[in-house]
Amino acid sequence: MAELSLKNVSKSFGSYEIIRNACLDIADGEFVVFVGPSGCGKSTLLRMIAGLEHITHGEIRIGDEVVNDVEPADRGIAMVFQSYALYPHMTVEENLSFGLRMTGNPKADTERRVQRVVDILQIRELMKRRPKQLSGGQRQRVAIGRAIVREPRVFLFDEPLSNLDAELRVQMRVEISRLHKELGTTMIYVTHDQTEAMTLANKIVVLRGGNIEQIGAPLDLYDNPANQFVAGFVGSPKMNFMSAEVVGVETGNVTLMLSNQGNVRLTLPLKDTPPAVGDKVTLGVRPEHFTNADGGIANLTVKVDVAEHLGNTSYIYANVASGEQLIIEREESRHDKTRDTLTVAIKSSHALLFDSAGNRLQ
Amino acid sequence: MHLRYRAAYGFLAPYLLIFAVFWIWPIISSFIMSFQNTRVNPWVFNPGATWGRLFIDPAFYNALKNTMIILVIQVPVMITLATIMAVLLNSPLLKAKGLFRFAFFAPVVVGEVAYAAVFRLMFNLDFGIINKLLLSIGIPAVSWFSETPAAMSLLIIAVTWRWAGYNAIIILSGLQSIPEDVYEAATLDRVSKVKQFIHITLPLLKPIIVFCVVLSIIGSMQLFIEPMLITNRGGPGGGTETLGLFLYRQGFASSNFGYASSIAYTMAVLAILISLLNMWIGREAK
Repeated sequence: MAELSLKNVSKSFGSYEIIRNACLDIADGEFVVFVGPSGCGKSTLLRMIAGLEHITHGEIRIGDEVVNDVEPADRGIAMVFQSYALYPHMTVEENLSFGLRMTGNPKADTERRVQRVVDILQIRELMKRRPKQLSGGQRQRVAIGRAIVREPRVFLFDEPLSNLDAELRVQMRVEISRLHKELGTTMIYVTHDQTEAMTLANKIVVLRGGNIEQIGAPLDLYDNPANQFVAGFVGSPKMNFMSAEVVGVETGNVTLMLSNQGNVRLTLPLKDTPPAVGDKVTLGVRPEHFTNADGGIANLTVKVDVAEHLGNTSYIYANVASGEQLIIEREESRHDKTRDTLTVAIKSSHALLFDSAGNRLQ
Repeated sequence: MHLRYRAAYGFLAPYLLIFAVFWIWPIISSFIMSFQNTRVNPWVFNPGATWGRLFIDPAFYNALKNTMIILVIQVPVMITLATIMAVLLNSPLLKAKGLFRFAFFAPVVVGEVAYAAVFRLMFNLDFGIINKLLLSIGIPAVSWFSETPAAMSLLIIAVTWRWAGYNAIIILSGLQSIPEDVYEAATLDRVSKVKQFIHITLPLLKPIIVFCVVLSIIGSMQLFIEPMLITNRGGPGGGTETLGLFLYRQGFASSNFGYASSIAYTMAVLAILISLLNMWIGREAK
């Protein structure tokens, strides 16, 4: 087990910078999830920690040791690949023990380690099978087993569940979470699925275009996103963004006009330096932060485009005349229908404000 | 027959006709011929003169022996060489891969007569570049065309030169189908590059290598151009006569079509048997 830190880590391919000045501290035993859209550099960052990609600048430290020039095998890490990367011609048993056998690890110790993995992951009946005779979930379990056998200081997971179907993904997610509790080892997990990030992580690192946008606990990110990108990325269905114009500024308050929502006006509390009157800003409201008409700070009248009734809740995809779309969660209502007109109110305490550059105004 | 099928067979008919006339019929006809003495007119059923002769003809045994020697030496040497070439071609360190791929494949495209002529020149006793090179490092000149072991080596060198690159390209495609992350997993497992090659690359390449070996065995069984053109019709004195050349001489020089047919069938059966043996050895464990 070990803590891990990145100091100003950068990576360039030629003149193209994939990762820019990444700084991150991971405590011993923490479960950290790198999340971001495709191409944001999260897998590259993970591979840099693994040593499979060289870093251009900066310092990576695992435990007390700077590992910039340490071979991947000597970093004390184990990695679970998206494609599982099992050795196709070997049985599960051989897959698990291959690394140890090749490095001359004592036979008794190898057997002990493999047995431990078999007990933890309950894969005894799979031992004589080859990868192609396993289902996706079983392969994933073997790939995780191969990582555990190494008894690493840090586990790295590169989108390990993205090839599984939805049901199995949920099941494996729970298993990985249980495994983390059982082993207590530091784990770093890459995913583009924000639900995985929210459910697994102690700490989420949101990346975009090679930059770390925000680091924080899942609910911190959900409640207090640092910017519009994080606000939009975390949460499903995603946060609604409405164009607004500042029409009044008083001490501790700002008044906005929602130009695309029938010029509705609303006033929000604001601690930061307020924007100037006439500035364009964006109002962010999560789907569950709408309430019945007159129950909040401003009423919006919208037309139901699609209503999704999930049983416990309903999602209303609504259009306003300007074409802006809103997603509204309605727990009580199962009766909204397409083309219905609906009036809902915004809960003031949950409305977020972003300036024109996407930065949060608090 | 349903109209739809009739139309389909109508369109297939030209191909099926050609296939029947130029493939099926010769196969059947030569099989029948292999039981006939074709040196009398009219031909008579006499398997003793064809199949029977195979068992007692020293010239056939000589050709069979030569073919087997070439096969046993040339195929393993060439496949090993091809595998090494493929691994080098696949190396991320290698620049101008396209050029190397072309260069390795080029010998297959070169005309057979031109290639044979170049080899005859290169291995010429007096002014060939090979003997000059040998002399320059103190090895006496070799009489490539008049000594059987040397002529046999020359054949093996020529065939290897011609087909190693071709097999390397096939093996390369196999190498490229091995996912990179399997090697990355092995690297993280602290497995050295050499052990990765032995324990991952070779086992995963096995089906491709078996395929190349089978193709090469079939090719070697039919070896004809090289002994015909390079070592001057299987010279010296039948020292490099192969089954393919022996068949040609029986069929087209002596007009003994019946005997030639029985040789052809023997070659095919041998190729099938050796290939099956190979596939059985290289079979994937259940």
